[in-house]
Amino acid sequence: MGRPPGRADRSAQEAGGGFWGRMQGIPRYYIHLLLAGVVVWQLLAPISMPIAPSAATQGVYDAIAAVPDDKLIVISADWDASTQAETGPQTQAIVQACLREGKRFALMSLGAPMGIRLAHEIAQEAAREHGAEYGVDWCNWGYKYGYGNVLMALAKDIPRAVGSDFYGTPVAELPMMEGVTDIRGIGLVIEVTGLAAITEIWLGLIQGPYGTPLASAYTAVMAPGYYPYLDSGQMQGMLVGAKGAAEMEALVERPGKAVAVMNVQSWAHVLIIALIVIGNAGYVLAGRRRR
Amino acid sequence: MNPDAYVLWAAAIATLGVYTILYRENPISRLFEHIFVGLSAGYLLVITWTLNLEAKWWQPMVAERRWWWVFAPVAGGLFYFIFSRRLSWLARLVMGLFFGAGAGTFFRQFFPIYAPQFYACFKPLRPDAELPWSQVLLHHWMFVIILLTVLSYFFFSVSHEGRAGRALGRASLLGRWFMMIAFGAMFGNTVMARVSLFIGRMRFLLTDWLGSFIPWFAGRGL
Repeated sequence: MGRPPGRADRSAQEAGGGFWGRMQGIPRYYIHLLLAGVVVWQLLAPISMPIAPSAATQGVYDAIAAVPDDKLIVISADWDASTQAETGPQTQAIVQACLREGKRFALMSLGAPMGIRLAHEIAQEAAREHGAEYGVDWCNWGYKYGYGNVLMALAKDIPRAVGSDFYGTPVAELPMMEGVTDIRGIGLVIEVTGLAAITEIWLGLIQGPYGTPLASAYTAVMAPGYYPYLDSGQMQGMLVGAKGAAEMEALVERPGKAVAVMNVQSWAHVLIIALIVIGNAGYVLAGRRRR
Repeated sequence: MNPDAYVLWAAAIATLGVYTILYRENPISRLFEHIFVGLSAGYLLVITWTLNLEAKWWQPMVAERRWWWVFAPVAGGLFYFIFSRRLSWLARLVMGLFFGAGAGTFFRQFFPIYAPQFYACFKPLRPDAELPWSQVLLHHWMFVIILLTVLSYFFFSVSHEGRAGRALGRASLLGRWFMMIAFGAMFGNTVMARVSLFIGRMRFLLTDWLGSFIPWFAGRGL
């Protein structure tokens, strides 16, 4: 491939030339290559960085541990392949925490038919590790179309609202559903999502009216918008992107994919910070030279 | 070759094809973009039928003999009268129904979502036995100052002239700075999210794809 137009050279000239001028005009594809290099290096030969769980992550774990034994945890897997790099490890870490604490959980999805299949595979693998049995320790209610309508129905009559599970078995026939008839049978809802606005449905139709505890796991892009709910106490805890998943894995003492990803991520951030510092230092120094 | 291997290779080629955009705009990345859009549209069609229409409309109507479901597409079809000038009122009938149901549901959700946040804005500004000074200063005072200055930024009814107006101007300037800091934090999170997705793809390329024919990559413990 030929060399793209000399944007870099022009930028360097505009910046007054010299080393710092050239630093501001580094071609974009060199930066991409550098980032890819750091990622590959850290994936193949990782240098570990410490992971300290944040209060928001600890909140999710504590909320799971506090669920009474006669109640279920509902994990709403509203994500799909596009955000799998973050939401997949989050789901995995949450499932591991549930199994470690011996809590029964049900997967479901309100907004992502593909996500429920991916979450099912994650739960199946984790259940095998812990010797947990489908229908007794965990189940999958499947994708339920209808957003708020589903939740309003769920609050009043779970077996009727859910109908059949992922395999087509009526949920009322699953041993773990014995005694779980309405929202009083749910001790915690954990919303794992890369989609906007589904949390608000859970908050408005379940957490608010019935007081059912809610925790969440978001992609890092979405998370800042949901901190006010954490501050107001509407949410018990929150996992933020791959970082939240890695912190959860550290809490359940099962370092897995998220810890590996977060380690790479930390080094990628070091590179990005260094590039920002170099770019800004170059801007200031080249400006002085021009003057 | 194992059918899974075809899927693996297709995914790897598509990933690399899409990433060629990082060098410059090119036909290969465009091709994979179009393939992706087509696949998504097709997938949506299938999912809409299998999970929604077949399960909730066709099966009850045909298998369970609930014949009255036959009127559902008639009601839904009224939406298309939006294209007729003379009969567009028929479309407005169903739209009004949907708007009403949507507004009613949202009204029900509004207070449980936002009221606790209003209450959470009222924080104690004096320390007591359970609340040390450090906590009050660091969290509560800072929260209240940021809340008031940011709100003042969106208060457009008073000009920034005169003593009170200038004070409001300074507060709104401070509010703007706080918002800039918040936007910076949000952008940082966005960078983190994008890098996470990139790492996810690189893991796939290294361990799943390259690892399928060079065992050394698969054995890296990822």
